[in-house]
Amino acid sequence: MTLLEVKGLVAGYGSGPDILRGIDLTLEAGQIQCIIGPNGAGKSTLLKVICGILKPRDGEVIFEGESITRLRPDQVLKKGICFVPQERSLFPHMTVGENLRMGGYALKNARETRKRIKEIYRQFPTLKQKRWQAANQLSGGQQQMLAMGRAMVLSPKIVLLDEPSLGLAPLIVEHIFEIVRQFKENGITVLMVEQNAHKGLEFADWGLVLDLGKNVFDGPADTILADPRIQELYLGTRRVQEGI
Amino acid sequence: MTSVPVSAQEQPLVRSKLKSKHSILGLIILLLFLFPLTQLITANNLNYYLHLMLFIFMYIAMASSWNILGGYAGYISLGHNVFFAVGGYFSSYLLLRDGYSPFFTAPIAGFVAMALAFLVGFITLRVRGPAFIISTIALVLVFRIRLDNWERLGGANGLKLPLIDLPVEQIKFPFYYGMLILAIITVYTSYRIRHSKFGLGLRAISQNETKAEASGIPTSFYKIFAFAISGYFVGVAGAMWGYYLTYITPSIFLLILVGAQMVLMCILGGRGTVAGPVIGAIIMIGTNEFFLSEFGSSELNIFGTGAILAAVLLFFPEGIVGSLRKIGRLPAILDWD
Amino acid sequence: MITDFLNGEYVHEVQILIFSLTLGGVYALMASGLTLVFGVMRIVNLAHPAFIFIAAYISYYAFTELNLDPMESILINVPLMFIFGVIVYRVFLASGADQPRYTEKTVLLTFALALMIEGVLGYLFTGANRSTTPTYTTEVFFTGEAQYLVPKAQLYALLMSLVLIIFTWSFLQFTRMGYAIRATMQNRAAAQTVGVNVKWVSTFSFGMGTALAGAAGALMSFLFSFFPNTHWEWVALLLSLIVLGGMGSLVGAVVGAFLLAGTAGLVSDAYGPSWSPLTFYAALFLILLIRPQGLFGKKLEMT
Repeated sequence: MTLLEVKGLVAGYGSGPDILRGIDLTLEAGQIQCIIGPNGAGKSTLLKVICGILKPRDGEVIFEGESITRLRPDQVLKKGICFVPQERSLFPHMTVGENLRMGGYALKNARETRKRIKEIYRQFPTLKQKRWQAANQLSGGQQQMLAMGRAMVLSPKIVLLDEPSLGLAPLIVEHIFEIVRQFKENGITVLMVEQNAHKGLEFADWGLVLDLGKNVFDGPADTILADPRIQELYLGTRRVQEGI
Repeated sequence: MTSVPVSAQEQPLVRSKLKSKHSILGLIILLLFLFPLTQLITANNLNYYLHLMLFIFMYIAMASSWNILGGYAGYISLGHNVFFAVGGYFSSYLLLRDGYSPFFTAPIAGFVAMALAFLVGFITLRVRGPAFIISTIALVLVFRIRLDNWERLGGANGLKLPLIDLPVEQIKFPFYYGMLILAIITVYTSYRIRHSKFGLGLRAISQNETKAEASGIPTSFYKIFAFAISGYFVGVAGAMWGYYLTYITPSIFLLILVGAQMVLMCILGGRGTVAGPVIGAIIMIGTNEFFLSEFGSSELNIFGTGAILAAVLLFFPEGIVGSLRKIGRLPAILDWD
Repeated sequence: MITDFLNGEYVHEVQILIFSLTLGGVYALMASGLTLVFGVMRIVNLAHPAFIFIAAYISYYAFTELNLDPMESILINVPLMFIFGVIVYRVFLASGADQPRYTEKTVLLTFALALMIEGVLGYLFTGANRSTTPTYTTEVFFTGEAQYLVPKAQLYALLMSLVLIIFTWSFLQFTRMGYAIRATMQNRAAAQTVGVNVKWVSTFSFGMGTALAGAAGALMSFLFSFFPNTHWEWVALLLSLIVLGGMGSLVGAVVGAFLLAGTAGLVSDAYGPSWSPLTFYAALFLILLIRPQGLFGKKLEMT
């Protein structure tokens, strides 16, 4: 079943040039889809448009058969699309517990929120242990874990992850991708942007390659990983590094 | 192939346009110089118009001066009237004590204002944006309290100055010419700065100070120097203005409204453009005069000043010159950059 | 030191501190709205004292025409000023909140707004300095062995201010809206991603800040005399409080208010009353230069 569809999206910031120049995307329910591409390809911009932070200049975003192109971020969230931005997405002076409570802000139901937070604590004992600490006192990996945990509180239909592994040590990156898998197990569809293309595609079902604001290729993640042309163009540096 | 003859044709066209622009501006300035003399010939009483025009000249000078810091460097000062006060008090004090005419001491008063600007700038220009703006408001209030309680300078009652010794039909002449020359020098200085390396540095600072610093611009020195220059002309204006009024009090110079006027004129005309403050000053003094003569109330004048400022900020943040240029409708005669 | 106080060594100084610190509460209330509005929206509201003045005039007329005690007129001021704040925010300040240099633009816009209010107030209420005169403004309590003088009006104002500040603090700490406001203060983008309608939160906060100005205006009406153009003196005073406390910090504003009120009282006692306001301005300069982030807050920059 197609959960989310993006058609001919054109977008940019302020009066600047178009960053997205006609993007199409299809997200099937239950998938993990990974968007890769070089810097400036428009990956993060695409996520911002989907969740309503940035208004597109042209094109459409369709969620469960309904256009959500013109909705405010909080309205998009209520539809069940939750965005986890690249770093600094926490409330630094609030405790871990308060941050999770903010995750359930859109629920308006305190008891339901509490129940779900309990469930999060069960899945992430580290967060439970640190529940009284301010978010800015956590390590980078813990902060990312909290940000993702906070997205789970809403149990959204889709979670949008913007470079979840950015700036984290390899061991922790592994752990973060485990959480991505956990989303899937909880029945949450994942659309993520990854700079670490190899790792991202390894955990994904489906891959989408963007370059210069346009689709270059999309298909099953393992096909992309195996495709020599894409290896050459978009996974090249990685291969050289691994070759050494 | 065709581009060669076209550009060859355009070159002299541009030059002749420039030439005609210069001659028109020159003509206007000449007429402004001759204008008071008509009073002697026709014996019409033009004193009111002379007053209005010298007032406009003064604000052209002050707004252009403010623009050097506020427009080019992007540091908004709401306290530039402190320099106005310093100029006024310095020259008036020397006039009363030693009898030196403020016309001779005015350039020195400018330097005193400049020295103060150096001192204040050295401290306050270490902060940017809103913090800087707030510090300039505090500066005005500090000076207001200090002068209100400075007995030697007359405290809140101020000082009374002797009248200049001229027949009534000529009494405004020296002030008219003084302010006119000041305005011309200020605008010319502003123009030269805008086209200098210094001006380029200031504009870089206003765009992105960190990047400007990284590219080797001595930002602190530039900022402080800009602050000092922009204090200079305001100080000179203050010196002449006190003499013109024949009395000075802290409330003449240190009303928040006086500082606000300079800011407003620049923003209205176009911050960071050479012609902007001139146009802004003419329009603002015109409207003020209209408000005062039609409604006779300074409260409405204050309200009007605020309302215009708000409207410009909301709808034409680039001011008249900037907005016209953006849509490509700026008349060549106003393009002084 | 403390024992010296208790032994009555510093009777005069303690008396001065009683006079000045009882005013600290009102300063804190005045500053709380200002700091809230900065914290949530990065608006430096130069018109905040002008808002307080509007409220003071409402209280003045409620007192003279309706015979309403200024403390009671808080109940009128708060909703009226809330609505006023919402309108002002929507008309003047709502657009461009995500643009660079928004703060700088708000300084100029609220400056313009303050001029407009000054003009209107001057037009409507020209003439004399005004203040309300409920009976307790002329009454005092005596307390302690040294028979310290405590002006009733100042004490009432202090208590009322503390009640309102604690109420505001609890609101921010415990309610759903409070959570949303704090979240927006700490990370506007993230607040958006968890479903906070940042636009409405901003509007509400501005209304709330203005409502606090409304309450402060009622208290001001019997503590100080006011005249349309004297609100400028309050701008620098209030800014110095919240810059000291840290822009955006409610606790900081309260601490800053009492600290500076006490200092100003002692300075005024030692060097004469005209130096008292200079304390605030000097403090403002010093803090901006030495510790721009204030005691509890973030650095005020070109955001």
